[in-house]
Amino acid sequence: MSGTTEESAALAGLRRQNGTTVGRVLGNGNIAEAEVDSDGRMHATIRINPDELCWDPGVLIMPHGGEIELTLINDDLNTHCAVLPSNGDSKFIWLVNHSKGTAVLDLDGPGYYWYGSKTGNDEGRGLTGAIVVSGDTPAEAKLDRPAQPQP
Amino acid sequence: MATYVDAGKAMDFRSLSDVPMKAPAVTKNVSYDRILKARDAEPQNWLTYYGGYDGQRYSPLDQINAGNVKDLKVAWVFQAGSYGMHSGASTYAFEAAPIVVDGVMFVSGHDNWLWAIDAKTGEELWRYKHAAPYDVSLCCGNVNRGVAVAQGLVFMTTLNAHVVALDAATGKVVWDQVYGDVRAGESATVAPLVIKDMVLVGSSGGEFGVRGHADAFKLETGERVWRCYMIPKPGEPGSETWPADGEAWQRGGGNCWTTPTFDPDLNLVYFNTGNPCPDFDGAVREGDNLYTDCVVAVDPDSGEIKHHYQYTPHDLWDYDSTMENILFDLDGQKLSAHFDKNGYLFILDRTDCSLVRVVPFVDRITWGEIDASGKVTAKVYPDKEGDPVHFWPGPAGAKEWTHAAYSPKTELLYAPVQDIGATATRRRREFKESIPYWGAGVAVDAEDIAGSISAFDPRTGQETWRWRHAQPMCASVLATGGDLVFAGEPAGKFNALNATSGELLWQFQCGSGHHSSPSTYTVDGRQYVAVPTGWGGWVEGFLPAQIGGRAGNALFAFALPE
Repeated sequence: MSGTTEESAALAGLRRQNGTTVGRVLGNGNIAEAEVDSDGRMHATIRINPDELCWDPGVLIMPHGGEIELTLINDDLNTHCAVLPSNGDSKFIWLVNHSKGTAVLDLDGPGYYWYGSKTGNDEGRGLTGAIVVSGDTPAEAKLDRPAQPQP
Repeated sequence: MATYVDAGKAMDFRSLSDVPMKAPAVTKNVSYDRILKARDAEPQNWLTYYGGYDGQRYSPLDQINAGNVKDLKVAWVFQAGSYGMHSGASTYAFEAAPIVVDGVMFVSGHDNWLWAIDAKTGEELWRYKHAAPYDVSLCCGNVNRGVAVAQGLVFMTTLNAHVVALDAATGKVVWDQVYGDVRAGESATVAPLVIKDMVLVGSSGGEFGVRGHADAFKLETGERVWRCYMIPKPGEPGSETWPADGEAWQRGGGNCWTTPTFDPDLNLVYFNTGNPCPDFDGAVREGDNLYTDCVVAVDPDSGEIKHHYQYTPHDLWDYDSTMENILFDLDGQKLSAHFDKNGYLFILDRTDCSLVRVVPFVDRITWGEIDASGKVTAKVYPDKEGDPVHFWPGPAGAKEWTHAAYSPKTELLYAPVQDIGATATRRRREFKESIPYWGAGVAVDAEDIAGSISAFDPRTGQETWRWRHAQPMCASVLATGGDLVFAGEPAGKFNALNATSGELLWQFQCGSGHHSSPSTYTVDGRQYVAVPTGWGGWVEGFLPAQIGGRAGNALFAFALPE
């Protein structure tokens, strides 16, 4: 391998706007875990930072399925929105410049979900985030068989 | 810094649309008794997946008939559409069978959508969207095959193996049960079936080495009634057909991913089971591998297996038998008819699942032979590691899961036929949970292919007529009392054929291919034929020559001019 410095610049350019690409390549954001209150309620804060056109954290990890309350903050200088997955129907919220709102989502686990901003091509520029739900299938739904080899 | 603008609380996306989220409570009085008599007592409705428990996919409606079908026009179109990123982004398809109750249609789409639609106008009445994980294991596309209704509820399975019951008037969740393990590679695509006070569902995941099962839940509460595994554990009946000292049974397949049929007099549910795992590497699972590739007659009250017939013992070609077993009576006999992936039409005595007749229904069958007594002789199969073998039919089968029909009026069976082969090369691999477990590399033919809608006399098994098509026919057919057989093409045309001659009488280009199950109904005395269109699913498996075909996501309703 050669040109390590150039490669690093190229890699770094994937994580910002108008760098290596025009937008920010998906899946390059920060990762954070949802907080769980003493009563078991899950919550997290997700921001849109100025001119980054991505969700921060870009990947939010829930410890298990269920209801989570998100606080959504738009610190950007442009208007965005969020279309978020939730059982029953997606949740929608406008996020004008310098605004703050909430969303309550009901999600099954395990698995992960993408969400985005339904404005222009916000989703392609980088405003596509992931919510990861950890955990396992309920025991009553599992297959009756011994533990199997894992990948 | 100024205080943030209050963006409020996120709202339901559907609230920013014209959807009223309210439908007439038409399913409130849909009882088991009504479903039992569905076809004859209320032909204006399509109350259950096949139109009746017998799986005939026949409607006696005859307002649209062979004499006037040339005048059939589009009455309305429902566009399902899509937004955001979803699983199976390139494999979504509209595969459902629309259910209709007293002017309200209930139909499911890809990615866990379910809609209530005004069956007369196409207006959306309510919608439900169960969030679908992006990483759920889907062998054959982001699809769902339909819903069931009863007692004011609508039932749907989800890609992540839940079964949900919704209030049919509002689309709100009443109960939600998990019945599969996504970490094991399980998912769900089946249309549920209501029997008595239960809703029955089955598992998907046959390409991931799971242990197939059917499950029953109480209609009103979602309480589990039973689970029936289609792969026996050591010591159970049928376990002698698996290696005695191995682990093969633990990942043996046999999934029930299409809706069963039901005989209320015999009190038997005829489940249809999928391929054994690994699909093409039989050396790791010596034996017949019960109850894979079977019809399995189950007591719906107990979940106990009563009878079975195995269409392809020790399958080495991915010949699921999940397609329907059509129940009909003829000359005093209680029969069932099944067009198998392996290219043979089986007529069984459904009282005990014994063989009455078996005949080939496709031109090219090279994998092996089944004689008149049902004896199976395998001839061509992936055997030697790395050695490619070509066989007909390919793993999509001479008929896929999409359904045949039986008309009690013409006493003929109608089947969508796929004449398409494949090359498989055995490549043994270790089993790892949730990873595809095929045991071969497979390439389905893109050339030298053909298809047809073919009619058969169940008394003899002989072909009565054939409507030929250049490509395999991959959508369910619908037979009607108007002497018509409706059948969609892979490239979008929807056809009406004469049920007695096979003559093409009418055709409409829907813009995207057909891989669904049309139904028919009346509202205010006007007959409609409804067909979801939207090409996708496991196209590389059943028709790679059309893998670049136009995607879509629309439901068309046709009627005669008013």
